[in-house]
Amino acid sequence: MAELKIDNVYKSFGEEHILKGISLDVTDGEFIILVGPSGCGKSTLLNCIAGLEDVTTGDILLGDTNVTYEAPKDRDIAMVFQSYALYPNMNVRKNIAFGLEIRKMPKAEIAEEVARVAKLLQIEPLLDRKPSQLSGGQRQRVAMGRALARRPKIYLFDEPLSNLDAKLRVEMRTEMKKLHQRLGTTIVYVTHDQIEAMTLADRIAVMKGGIVQQFGTPQEVYDDPANMFVAGFMGSPSMNFLRCEVTKQEKDYAVQIESQGTIFQLPVDPKQADLSSYVGKTVVLGIRPEQITHVMPHLVAEQYITQVPVKIEVTEPTGADTLILARINDQECECRVHPQEAGKVGESMELLFNMSKAVFFDEQTEARL
Amino acid sequence: MAKSKNPSYANINARAVLYAVLIIVAAYYLLPLILMIVTSFRSMDEIRMGQLIEWPKTFSFDAWSMAWSEVQIGAREERGLRPYFINSILMVIPSVAISTILGALNGYVLSFWKFRGSELFFAALLIGCFLPFQAILLPQSQLLGWLGLSGSLVGLILTHVVYGVSFTTLFFRNYYVNLPHELVKAAKLDGAGFWVIFFRIILPLSAPILVVTVIWQFTQIWNDFLFGVVFSDPSSQPVTVGLNNMVNSSTGEKQYNVDMAGAIIAALPTIVVYVVAGKYFVRGLTAGSVKG
Ligand SMILES: Nc1ncnc2c1ncn2[C@@H]1O[C@H](COP(=O)(O)OP(=O)(O)OP(=O)(O)O)[C@@H](O)[C@H]1O
Ligand SMILES: [Mg+2]
Repeated sequence: MAELKIDNVYKSFGEEHILKGISLDVTDGEFIILVGPSGCGKSTLLNCIAGLEDVTTGDILLGDTNVTYEAPKDRDIAMVFQSYALYPNMNVRKNIAFGLEIRKMPKAEIAEEVARVAKLLQIEPLLDRKPSQLSGGQRQRVAMGRALARRPKIYLFDEPLSNLDAKLRVEMRTEMKKLHQRLGTTIVYVTHDQIEAMTLADRIAVMKGGIVQQFGTPQEVYDDPANMFVAGFMGSPSMNFLRCEVTKQEKDYAVQIESQGTIFQLPVDPKQADLSSYVGKTVVLGIRPEQITHVMPHLVAEQYITQVPVKIEVTEPTGADTLILARINDQECECRVHPQEAGKVGESMELLFNMSKAVFFDEQTEARL
Repeated sequence: MAKSKNPSYANINARAVLYAVLIIVAAYYLLPLILMIVTSFRSMDEIRMGQLIEWPKTFSFDAWSMAWSEVQIGAREERGLRPYFINSILMVIPSVAISTILGALNGYVLSFWKFRGSELFFAALLIGCFLPFQAILLPQSQLLGWLGLSGSLVGLILTHVVYGVSFTTLFFRNYYVNLPHELVKAAKLDGAGFWVIFFRIILPLSAPILVVTVIWQFTQIWNDFLFGVVFSDPSSQPVTVGLNNMVNSSTGEKQYNVDMAGAIIAALPTIVVYVVAGKYFVRGLTAGSVKG
């Protein structure tokens, strides 16, 4: 158990600059999720933390010690690799036991530990098989088991659940959470799964192009994104971005939208943004699909809620909700309505735009306003 | 489909042609060997009387025992090919073992423990694969002289090891770069060091390329004549040199049957190695190209 401090880490492969000044302070026992588009350097960062790649500049501190120049085996870190990296010549049992053997754990304890991990990951029947005789999901669980058999200072997980079927993934997600609660070990975890990120993380680091765009709690990242990239990346279906003009009302400001030829003023909550210097200019309105719903009578009178009729272009039922693609300001806008309220394609439908959680971005810099 | 009404006949015809060609080619390569074997079992009298190419009328092992332990080669006290054969074995086993082990270690380092300039090092080593034997004769004999190893078996072994390491390194390196690098990373995190990773993870995965390398080195070194004739003295000459001396001994009449038996004796170990391990050789050569 230890806190992890990543201080201004740069990593280049020759002329290719992959990590460009990563700084993260992870407190002891925190569960950190790394997200970001493919190729943004997540695996590279994990490799740097583990010591498998040398950083170009910058420091990595584990607890109070600077481990930047320490060998991987001295850092006491366990990692699950994206490609599993099971030893092909050893059976599952040996794969899990290898690290314990190397660290000179007594034989009886090793057997106990292997049994415990195998039970946890439901791989008991597989213990005598070679990795080549396992399915992708089974291999992934063995790779998890190899890491979990040890009690390192930090766990690094590189998309550990990506190959599991939906049901097992949900089960394993819960297991991960329980495991973390029980062990309290610091975890850095890479995933592409939005729900995994939101449910597991104490804090989420959103990366793009080798730079941390935002590092905050799931709710912060979701409600209070630092820029348009984070806003668009987190959440599924993703946030709507509508370019629209800022207008001055009696005392507040509003953004102007057009639907089916009619102009509407959506009032801007001053708590969300100060748009005084943008009057008459265009900004990007960020509004999540769930803030645009069918008409609910008790909400109609609320201050930041506006009723707007839209034309339905596409409907996408997801079961719990139906997603409606509407056209606002001649741009596509996804809205989330109750399945029974959803109209048919081509029809017009009344929707409520809830602006109390809307966010605004500069059109050019994509920075949050 | 419409053209050949009976596709199975077309198949059989194609097969027949194929087999005919294969049999002809096989016969072309096998005939000299068969001739050698047949001749080695004939007596000299018979050869003298009749044709050079003929089925043996009597069957005798005389020529074999002559070649093995009785024929006088040069002015040596010991007779026959046996001392040469023993020299070859004493030379080939350490040469193959050492060059293979060094190649495996080199390949392991060059694939998984890259250092500054390791690519350059590998490139330099590869030049060794393109050096003709003749090019290193003079410097090597000079070197062996300095080391006091001229004409000794150890000097010959050293020469073969040094010359062979380029090839063995190339084999192992090209095999290892296709192994997933995460294996070594995972082992490092598990706490394993350089040697543990090599012996517990990498070496157990190396069987195909080990077989290829051992066969390659064995045939190269066993069949070598040039190094053998240049870097040895009569007490350390390998069987290839012995065979040459035997055949070229100009005293008396040419004993074809003994020459043939001697040639087969000299070639026997490589034939045995191919028969025993040839299957793995082909498998190993193609192993790198298939993932998994
Ligand atoms: N050894 C290497 N040499 C050169 N470039 C590399 C090397 N390893 C990774 N890269 C490059 O670094 C970039 C980041 O790779 P990385 O594996 O960290 O991405 P990632 O965020 O994990 O992506 P994914 O989500 O697809 O796993 C990629 O563009 C990749 O091509
Ligand atoms: Mg990755």
